[in-house]
Amino acid sequence: MKIKTPVLFTICLLTVTTVIAQDDAAVLYSAGTVYTMSGEPISPGQVLVENGKIKAVDSVIPAATRGDATLVELGEGSVLMPGLIDAYTQSGMGADSSDEVTKEITPNFRAARSIDWKSTDMKQRLHAGTTTMCVCPGTQNVVSGIASIVKTGGEQVVNDDYALVASICSDPTARNSSRQRPDSIYVRQPTNRMGVVWILRNSLSKVKQGKMESAPLAEALNGKRPFFIVSRVAHDLSTAATLAEEFDFQPILVGGHESYKITDLISARNYSVILGGTTTGSMFGPEQTELCWNQAGILDEAGITFCISGNNQLEQARFAHRFGLDANKALAAITTSPAQILGINERVGTIEIGKDADLIALQGDPLEFTTAIEWVMVDGKITEPKNTTRQAKGN
Amino acid sequence: MSYQTILKSSLAIVFAITFFGSADAQNSLAIKGGKIIPVAGEAIENGTLLIRDGKIAAVGTDLDIPVDARIIDATGKVVMPGFVEAHSSEGLSQANETNPNVPYVSVMDGIDPMRPYFDSARRNGVTSVAVVPGNSTMIGGQAAVIKTGGDFVEYMVLKRDAGMKISLRPAGQTSRMGHLAALRKALGEAKRKIESDAKKESGKDEEKAEDKSKEGESKTAATPSKPKSETDSELTKALMKVVSGKLPVFIYCDKAMDVAYATQLINQYKMNAILVLGRDCHKAAKQVAASGLPVILDSQMVFWDKDPRTDEEKKIVVTESFRDQDVPFAFQVARSSNNTLGNNYLWYQAATAVKYGMPKDEALKALTLLPAEFLGVDQFVGSLEKGKDGDVIILTGDPLKNGTWVETTIVNGEVVYERDNDEKLELLLGKTDQK
Repeated sequence: MKIKTPVLFTICLLTVTTVIAQDDAAVLYSAGTVYTMSGEPISPGQVLVENGKIKAVDSVIPAATRGDATLVELGEGSVLMPGLIDAYTQSGMGADSSDEVTKEITPNFRAARSIDWKSTDMKQRLHAGTTTMCVCPGTQNVVSGIASIVKTGGEQVVNDDYALVASICSDPTARNSSRQRPDSIYVRQPTNRMGVVWILRNSLSKVKQGKMESAPLAEALNGKRPFFIVSRVAHDLSTAATLAEEFDFQPILVGGHESYKITDLISARNYSVILGGTTTGSMFGPEQTELCWNQAGILDEAGITFCISGNNQLEQARFAHRFGLDANKALAAITTSPAQILGINERVGTIEIGKDADLIALQGDPLEFTTAIEWVMVDGKITEPKNTTRQAKGN
Repeated sequence: MSYQTILKSSLAIVFAITFFGSADAQNSLAIKGGKIIPVAGEAIENGTLLIRDGKIAAVGTDLDIPVDARIIDATGKVVMPGFVEAHSSEGLSQANETNPNVPYVSVMDGIDPMRPYFDSARRNGVTSVAVVPGNSTMIGGQAAVIKTGGDFVEYMVLKRDAGMKISLRPAGQTSRMGHLAALRKALGEAKRKIESDAKKESGKDEEKAEDKSKEGESKTAATPSKPKSETDSELTKALMKVVSGKLPVFIYCDKAMDVAYATQLINQYKMNAILVLGRDCHKAAKQVAASGLPVILDSQMVFWDKDPRTDEEKKIVVTESFRDQDVPFAFQVARSSNNTLGNNYLWYQAATAVKYGMPKDEALKALTLLPAEFLGVDQFVGSLEKGKDGDVIILTGDPLKNGTWVETTIVNGEVVYERDNDEKLELLLGKTDQK
């Protein structure tokens, strides 16, 4: 015992120091192309990462800046780009915690309180390149709570008290158990879209008149807190616009699958849109929205600020590009524009000096379907081991 | 002969000449100037492809184009064989029969050429598809390989008896034990029938010389003498072709454990089989490799698997598992009811395989010649070679690249899809206002 303890202690100490050393030590990544997203791509390019931040980015970083940084060659054709940002997701929420059944208005609920850092979907998102995401409560409540911005690696909350989320869609009617069981304790409204809007309007006017105390709702109304409105079909989006005018607030439209139909209205009011993921297999989008593959391209042409959300953002961007969105804008829609919409563009979204070292390394053009992600880095740490991608046999 | 009659008859001759002349031109098609990827053989830059009477007449560089041929200029484009989809139920109005044992039904009676599937298939370069009954019926019926161009299945069919569908996934409350027992019973009956027929046959041989004329009568008389119901005999008859190996089988394995039973059944009943594998079957890649059977992969080729005991999560890439064992495979796409992005396209599946290490030319082969070989239709489709069917796609650029679209799809020498006239695509891309 007497001999073993100090030995163990030393081993522990050594392990701790090496881990810290790995975290802090400067590493220079050399890639075929660096998509900084703050200007033209740099080819070839180098990114110096130290203490979880980007220290330098250039085509060749001078030796003075570089110091004794370890050089990592990513190889010919490799690409470095900023980690992806998802402005709206329910990934990472523990099971059964995104929707509330007993009340229609729950503005004080916080998504951050139910985040499961070890959940499969969190890991999947990280693997697919998403490094920052805005986790939102579900859509089955009229006002469902407060969204929180988190990093997918390192269990880090960026902002746990972010936007208020409300639904103007058919989702809240789905939770009406009284339809099936009149004796249920969950007899709750609404049962239709009119009810959804009525409950929201009622709460908003009560708050405005001082008849109801709700700090998050009041802040969302006076513009101190971003207000996410989840709407997908065109008439719901129009209703959201009507309410916004009535109560004088600036919503961020979430989902927006049919926003391409009312681009005049959206661009005139200068609303931002967080586009929900599109599908190619089915005949309709979610909530039976009319399927249009080029939503992003149409919003872009109308000059609307938008970003692309969804479970596989890189794939979403690839298809958005295929269906008509400019290549640079497709990449911006999953990096810089969500950062801007979420107001975190000082920290993430581009590869610039001083920003968080959230990077993805790819084997080629990020917008090609045949390109695999090599690794994903959050705050300077390659959190996930290399993907299991192998080099092609032959060829 | 009056003046009018002369005029009429001369007009008729003019008409006839115009008519036959144009019909002749329709029969020859030359696609020139493009990069030809024949799949069998090296790519040809600035090549010409000649199709006559629906068949490929020549592939090369300096070809004499017949004066009457319709010419498609493919300069800057890529010309390759149409894709062959090895397993799909999307062309059926209903994929599964409710009765679990229906070897006598055929997809030929259930294909709806108006289904959106066919539109999408032509738009995405698929020219041949094996329409196979779904995975939820034990013995689901007979598959057929059809072309994607046409509006009546009888004119679309390439191979009528492409195979029998057998699923090893038990339906409803049935256990795997019960499912396999029922399957063995059905196959066993067919096998015994073959054996008893063979005995009768050898007995007959001796009688044959004496009584040749009565044979026809005895055959017809034999059927009603048996107490079995009509469906029973139909059932056995349909399965007899399977058990003797005359009709191939598509065996669907849901879980990895099913692979062992599938190979056992295949050996026991001497079946000529193609494995249709669920995503879990990547665990049985070695067994699959040892069987040497053709493989059609599940539409979900990349997924996360969780260990039921340790909760350890692993990203599984099915194509890697099989490539590691050198198992050749063809792709399958997701059902249209799934909310998927991408994997409802055959080309996307190939792009995914390339993403995870498959060489591009191998992936292109897995879209064309390989599935054609699996299905036994490679003498007609799968590559651009003289004598094969004129099933050609013209792409705007390199295959599997993001910006590449199918410009023209040609089936049996006839243009069945043109992107310029694809109004549905324009709607989906929101381009209607500009026109």
